[in-house]
Amino acid sequence: MELLEMKGIVKAFPGVIANNHVNLSVKAGEIHALLGENGAGKTTLMNILYGLYQADSGSVFWKGEKVHFHSPLDAIAAGIGMVHQHFTLIPTMTVLQNIILGLKEKGYPFIKITEITESIQALAKRYGLAVDVKKRVSELSVGEQQRVEILKALYRGAELLVLDEPTAVLTPQETCEFFEVLRRLKSEGHAVILITHRMAEIMAISDRVTILRDGSDLAVMNTQDTDPASLAKLMIGSELPERPVIEPHKGDAAPLLELKDIVVKKERISRLAISLQVYPGEIVGIAGVDGNGQKELAEVICGILSASQGTIQYDGQDITKATVYQRFRRGIAYISDDRHHDGLVLDMNLRQNLMLRKYKLSPYTKHGCLNRNKMDEFSSSCIGKYQIKPPSPGIKMRLLSGGNQQKAILAREISEEAKLIVACQPTRGLDIGATMQVRSILAEQRNRGAGILLISADLDEILSLSDRIAVLFRGQLMGVLDNGAELKTETIGSMMGGRPLAEGETTYA
Amino acid sequence: MRKYTVQVARALVYTGLTLAVATLLILGAGASPLQCAGVFIRGIFGSLNGFAEVLVKAAPLMLAGLGISIGFRSGFFNIGAEGQMYMGAIAATVVAMWPVQMPSWIHVTLAMAAAFLAGGLWAFIPGILKAKFGISEIINTLMLNYIAFDLTGILIRGVLQDSTDYLPQSPALGPELAGILAPTRLHAGFLLALLMVLAVWWLMEHTPTGFELQVVGSNKRAARCLGINVMKSIVIASCLGGGLAGIAGAGELLGIQHRLLEGLVGGSGYTAILVALLGRNNPWGVLAASIGFAALQVGANTMQRQMGIPAAIVSILTGFIVILLLCDALILKLIEKRKVEGAA
Repeated sequence: MELLEMKGIVKAFPGVIANNHVNLSVKAGEIHALLGENGAGKTTLMNILYGLYQADSGSVFWKGEKVHFHSPLDAIAAGIGMVHQHFTLIPTMTVLQNIILGLKEKGYPFIKITEITESIQALAKRYGLAVDVKKRVSELSVGEQQRVEILKALYRGAELLVLDEPTAVLTPQETCEFFEVLRRLKSEGHAVILITHRMAEIMAISDRVTILRDGSDLAVMNTQDTDPASLAKLMIGSELPERPVIEPHKGDAAPLLELKDIVVKKERISRLAISLQVYPGEIVGIAGVDGNGQKELAEVICGILSASQGTIQYDGQDITKATVYQRFRRGIAYISDDRHHDGLVLDMNLRQNLMLRKYKLSPYTKHGCLNRNKMDEFSSSCIGKYQIKPPSPGIKMRLLSGGNQQKAILAREISEEAKLIVACQPTRGLDIGATMQVRSILAEQRNRGAGILLISADLDEILSLSDRIAVLFRGQLMGVLDNGAELKTETIGSMMGGRPLAEGETTYA
Repeated sequence: MRKYTVQVARALVYTGLTLAVATLLILGAGASPLQCAGVFIRGIFGSLNGFAEVLVKAAPLMLAGLGISIGFRSGFFNIGAEGQMYMGAIAATVVAMWPVQMPSWIHVTLAMAAAFLAGGLWAFIPGILKAKFGISEIINTLMLNYIAFDLTGILIRGVLQDSTDYLPQSPALGPELAGILAPTRLHAGFLLALLMVLAVWWLMEHTPTGFELQVVGSNKRAARCLGINVMKSIVIASCLGGGLAGIAGAGELLGIQHRLLEGLVGGSGYTAILVALLGRNNPWGVLAASIGFAALQVGANTMQRQMGIPAAIVSILTGFIVILLLCDALILKLIEKRKVEGAA
């Protein structure tokens, strides 16, 4: 029998139909992948299931009965648990407190902590979710926090778990452990809905997969009857764009960027201690799990953070003390990982956002006044060159899709003058089409002779684009490797987990 | 088109609600609302003097409101126009009392320039504290209002007091802003205010500095990441705002009162915050809102004189309008919902 059935779900928002008669069915003891690009309607569908949104029409059947969830409380009570991509834990509280938060346990408000501790520990053991319940959440790694989220849902009696992009924050090893947990859940009869766009994971773990595109469910298939290429084709509706061409590295020039013993401290804690070189015409990939100093690295190069020790040499000069503006003028472009906060002003229009770097240069400012015509010309050329949609310079930045927002940033940052491009998670949250476009732009810039520092949590991205790969763990480099077809992912994986590269270690299979 | 109808619907809702509350208040005061409306409107449009009086009262609101709107758009929440107006008036008094022979227009210009500087400096204090140390400008500007007001009180009982009199006020000042519509009280300060509307619009829309101010106001973090000097922008916004408020205070001094006294500003600095809010921080909006508020005041004063209805009704209405504005999002939602239901 089906555990969950969603039939003919329709949900419209002003201007878009997010779900257009979508069907989804999940059996008990099944891992069901939900595949689709951004904007395909995955999140909307899950939010309807979880009671966050109400469907315009269509019905939800839970264990064969028609149900209507008015809020997440109803969904939780029925036995549905959700783990969001951004965790909803309270860092200053312990694991135990987080798990029982909001529950009225037996004897409330005088609850029996030891009994509860034991039952949580038993639960954790049963599913292989090793975690110390007395620790504060702020002391846990991201992987551990994820386990707490799952425990929290299981403790509330979840029979169906919805996991939104669960592996985005994990190292390859942690992902393996995580899959073990999923298999345990499955064998105990739980159902799992896995939202993802990583083909390899779908192939490795799921039983069935439902593909969403443009708000409709295109197909449901057994995972073993399909392959990654045909899944991708179904998901994006056309053949996969070609991988960017990386020409052989020209080499032997002087380094374009050289970080010497750079230390960055935040709240007196050292967040970054690093030495690194980037040569013109190469892409240096920075691999690592999110939050290991990547952002600090990008910002110290762009001048947003200042280094408390060390020097930065760029293009033959010391720029340790130079301002953000001076560095940009000398050719350092920055693609930030946080479009909405760092890269764009969402309440201003597309034209203004495209002008953010150049507004006070000639010819855009003449005799102290902004020249609207020149600004229009510049923005039209950006819009044309990068195919930004919709092509209207007056549109509020907020109204553009993530991919088009990212294209606007690329158009603004990358020009003939860009010698060093610091790209921090440049494809995060983009659909496959936009991702491929961004990657080929980066490859093009490299082939033109720009040095590129590519910071990404997506190991595939690093492997497919980089000339050299450096692995960052807790603010320190675990080693720098030359990229090549035989490079062992396990080596990078264990470096991402904190094992430095031993001298003379072979990194090739 | 759809957006336009929503705007109109909103304006109608606001006007309707405000009129309803006004009617209730007037009934409560024991008068006939219709008769009141007649007196109110005649007070404003019935005579040249009444009309000129609206513009007289609008000038300081416009100047200070412009200053505040620059701050609001740059993320500097300036509650201190009142104090900046007093500081401007004090500086203008000192310059105007300066016993040097010179043509009157030069003397007035110098006094106004001093007022701009003094108001700007007064706002520079919370500006630099916010820019450098992130200290709340809302509290600081508010507190500086008390200091400026009490400083005025001390000065007009001390060094700036009229020595021929016992009243706490400065001597009558020689230099004055010329009248422009005799025999009314309308003076050149109003023209200056109009000029400033144009100047602020130009600054915000057509100069790189204005562009920077807007970026800082909408997203400080992005401004920093893109190399805009956030500290400098905050300081510029605060000083310009304070300077404009300083001119507003000096205008009242040199155009209307001709003496520095304690009631000189009398809360205009606070009303100007509402002007900026109502004008949506747009210079032309501020122009319209300041005239609107001034008309409300003039009409209400006429009502009080002729019918004995307390002019405080206007303060109550003002408060009500502000609450409406703050509930804007909610009201818009209700209108939209209405429309959707109507369409279905």
